[in-house]
Amino acid sequence: MTILEQVRNGATGILVAGNHARIVQAILDFDHLAGKEAPSVLGLIAATRKAQKFFFGSKEILVPCFKSFTDVPPSISGEVKWLLNLQSGRRTYATTSSFFEHFPNALGAHLFAENVPELHATLLVREYGKKYVIAGPSGVGVLVSGHLKLGAIGGVDMRQIDAGKFVTPGAVAVVSTSGGMTNELIRAVAAAGKRVSFSISIGGDRFPVTSLGDVLAHAEADSQTQAIVYFGELGGSDEYEIVELLQKGKITKPIVCYIAGVIDEAFDEHMQFGHAKALVASQDQSARSKRSALAAAGAIAPETFPEFLESMEQLPASSAHDRVVDIDSVMNRQRSILSTREIVDLENVPVFVKDGQLVPQKENGFASAALHALLGSDVKPITAAFVSNIFELLIDHGGHVSGAVNTMVTARAGKDMVSSLAAGLLTIGPRFGGAVNEAARTWHTGVISGAEAAAFVEARTQGGQLLAGIGHRKYRVGIPDPRVEALSEFATLLKKHPHYDFARAVENITTGKNGNLILNVDGVMAALLLDVLAEEEGYSASELDELLEAEFFNALFIIPRSVGFIAHFIEQKRNDEGLFRLPDELLFEKKIEPKDTK
Amino acid sequence: MARVKISEYRAKRIILGDTYAGIQIRSGDSVPSGSWVAKVDQGVKKRFKQGLLVIDKPKVAIEAAIREWEKKGFSQFLLEPLFPHDASEEQYFSLERVRDGIRILHARDGGVDIEAHPEQVYTGTYATDADIAHIAKDTALPEEFLRQMVATFEKQFFAFVEINPLVVKDDAAHLLDAAVLVDSAGAFFVRNGWTDDDIIKAPSKHAAEAAVESLSQTTAASLKLSVIDPNGSLFFLLSGGGGSIVIADEAQLEGAGDLIANYGEYSGGPTTEETYLYAKEIVQLMLASKAQRKALVIAGGVANFTDVKITFRGIIDALKVASPAMREQGVKVFVRRGGPNEEAGLDLMREFLGAEGLLGSVHGSDTVITKAVEDAIAFIRS
Repeated sequence: MTILEQVRNGATGILVAGNHARIVQAILDFDHLAGKEAPSVLGLIAATRKAQKFFFGSKEILVPCFKSFTDVPPSISGEVKWLLNLQSGRRTYATTSSFFEHFPNALGAHLFAENVPELHATLLVREYGKKYVIAGPSGVGVLVSGHLKLGAIGGVDMRQIDAGKFVTPGAVAVVSTSGGMTNELIRAVAAAGKRVSFSISIGGDRFPVTSLGDVLAHAEADSQTQAIVYFGELGGSDEYEIVELLQKGKITKPIVCYIAGVIDEAFDEHMQFGHAKALVASQDQSARSKRSALAAAGAIAPETFPEFLESMEQLPASSAHDRVVDIDSVMNRQRSILSTREIVDLENVPVFVKDGQLVPQKENGFASAALHALLGSDVKPITAAFVSNIFELLIDHGGHVSGAVNTMVTARAGKDMVSSLAAGLLTIGPRFGGAVNEAARTWHTGVISGAEAAAFVEARTQGGQLLAGIGHRKYRVGIPDPRVEALSEFATLLKKHPHYDFARAVENITTGKNGNLILNVDGVMAALLLDVLAEEEGYSASELDELLEAEFFNALFIIPRSVGFIAHFIEQKRNDEGLFRLPDELLFEKKIEPKDTK
Repeated sequence: MARVKISEYRAKRIILGDTYAGIQIRSGDSVPSGSWVAKVDQGVKKRFKQGLLVIDKPKVAIEAAIREWEKKGFSQFLLEPLFPHDASEEQYFSLERVRDGIRILHARDGGVDIEAHPEQVYTGTYATDADIAHIAKDTALPEEFLRQMVATFEKQFFAFVEINPLVVKDDAAHLLDAAVLVDSAGAFFVRNGWTDDDIIKAPSKHAAEAAVESLSQTTAASLKLSVIDPNGSLFFLLSGGGGSIVIADEAQLEGAGDLIANYGEYSGGPTTEETYLYAKEIVQLMLASKAQRKALVIAGGVANFTDVKITFRGIIDALKVASPAMREQGVKVFVRRGGPNEEAGLDLMREFLGAEGLLGSVHGSDTVITKAVEDAIAFIRS
């Protein structure tokens, strides 16, 4: 099957490298206008975010972003057939090579950048030129009417896409090195009442990866294409390639050409026009010579552009009917400013009492509802039980701890519940309560890297740095933290617990240095929660990474401790001891030496 | 992607390294004593014929020659010790990047006109290291020299190297004259080699050309301008590399080629501000023209992604400043353009030109690309 046939059979999945939101949106608009049920853009390669919002028709969709081709999940990678490379010229070669290494079964790419080094372009020609369709460097991309719009080709606003009529499959191939004229010709074909079969903008660079000859071979082999429209310019010898193909009978389909550049005759010296190749280096590169040679070889090559447009009347028409689309209603679409999901099912009201009787509830109901809200899916009993245990354990740890003190001080200053709670919550950070996530990251990194605990500790603690999840002020070897003991029992319920094992192995090393450097409650929570999520809930390493990025593990402290802070607040309101002031003897005031002002 | 010349001095430093004994002299530098071959080093061809080269002369004679060259506008020169050899030893050697690798041309007789005598020229293509051996065998050039040249060519992102004459003595290659074009897009990747400072810039003929050239170096968009006849009648403010040629062609085909004042185009999605600065140069050029009847053609194809409204806003800003003077000179403006935000951009332009009394005609993508220039020519001739 030819590449064009594969595209028409649905091989249209695109990965976009680099950012040019308007072009991506235009591709999605094309998909919508062509009546596709799913967008062809499968993802963006962009390091700074996880997803980007676009419209698909009037609806908004989130297109996932990946840091690199390696991060594209298997659920998507099988669909990837095309690369739209919108990166700068200096990055184009590396990204394109990497794409074809990851997706050897892809069909091709468009390279948008204008300043790709010649060396890189020739390497791409050698490595990928034979097997794939690669439009560029430079130019505006590849279009297969009704199926694929890879790049800015045909325009970026919906009216343009509609005016070019290329959601309807046709019989005329449009080929040009000039990006602007590719679009002009697409419009001219539509204006003549014909439709485009496919179009490739070769790009004005010296070494296009897919050459003019290659594109014409695709046109000749394509069963849908019955005629070819070509726009060329003065300079270079591409048109003699067409002449040769015509003479050898390798192009048998009618070809209508316009070769621009007679204006060069008006100047004393040959002029360098816009495209790199557009400079006459010898007489046979003039527009007139090329046009005559093409006409002599059997091409239709009119003298003027208006005549060229008229000759399009002779092109074969399309048998397909245009789709009728209401563009105006789609163009009035409104961009939302926030995206989220349904956290709880608002329709489903929990029933606790029925027929004058309490309705039995499932175990650990609150923990399980909270986890459903946080993770977006139901959890297994062990998970709910573990989190429930954490919730109960962490409600409070006495009035001495920083967060509780701040809550109480604020309450005594006469502030309300929300302010006092906020004062307590805002105290949570790396030294107080907020280390659970950091501890989880430590264990996760350790397990993934497969490091030995000793080497890991050595590397992580250079320069006296502390390990999150390790160490306690009060408890030590011989005086175990009872909360850690209690939570550790959950390990016995799991078939495997690599994070817990790793945390214990680390503890083994650190307690060898100092008896206080035991696995603390943050550390054990983090380790076992990772194990529970991986073993019970089937979370993959990259999904755990996502939770770490979102600081999920800290929620397990913040939720129960909010209850504790509110309890301290209520207690202060009950006692109402008036404004708190630190007694003089409890504050050390540093003397400031007067400055020498001499 | 563009092929640009670097100075012969830099080219030879890169190829030969520290063994190169040449000295670069810029206007004002003193000439060291001794006997030298001196030449202008600004990418000029056929220096010998033009008298831009002196061979084996002492300091005083060199200083005199440089003074003469400075009068002709040159400012960068090269001094080299004479390499004594026989004319019969001179060979031709060049490398050029082509689609399949590097094309190597070589001729035993350095004096040969390469294009006129293809039968005397060896042509080979380097694609992989395995090719070096057979090219060395066919040309009788030292294998080590070839290998080094190819390695330098690749590492330094060269596009073209011509050494003429090349003299080989005892397996050592001597580069008497060398011209190198580098691929400007490779600048980022080149280490310990040429930089933008080594690129020889063609002198701009007109202040407006220089202004546009320096502007184009500060944007990702493409901005180009050539002044053809400062007193022309037909002024072009065109967009798109291909479309702009079609529009200019139409003037030539209508027999109005001699009316053209300038040529150039903007493309690649310039911002409003960039378009303003570009348009300003053309408008000033137009106001300065002594032609009796003048027309401005703002035209281009149907853009893929260059926003018509954004770019037209910039053009309108440039026209606003000049509109009283344009009215006084009886200038009319003719427009044809398509692309993103076409309708809004054209409406803006039509309204502005109408209000200012500058309106010739405004057309969109439903009219042929050549319509505005046809209207403008008819106006000039009326």
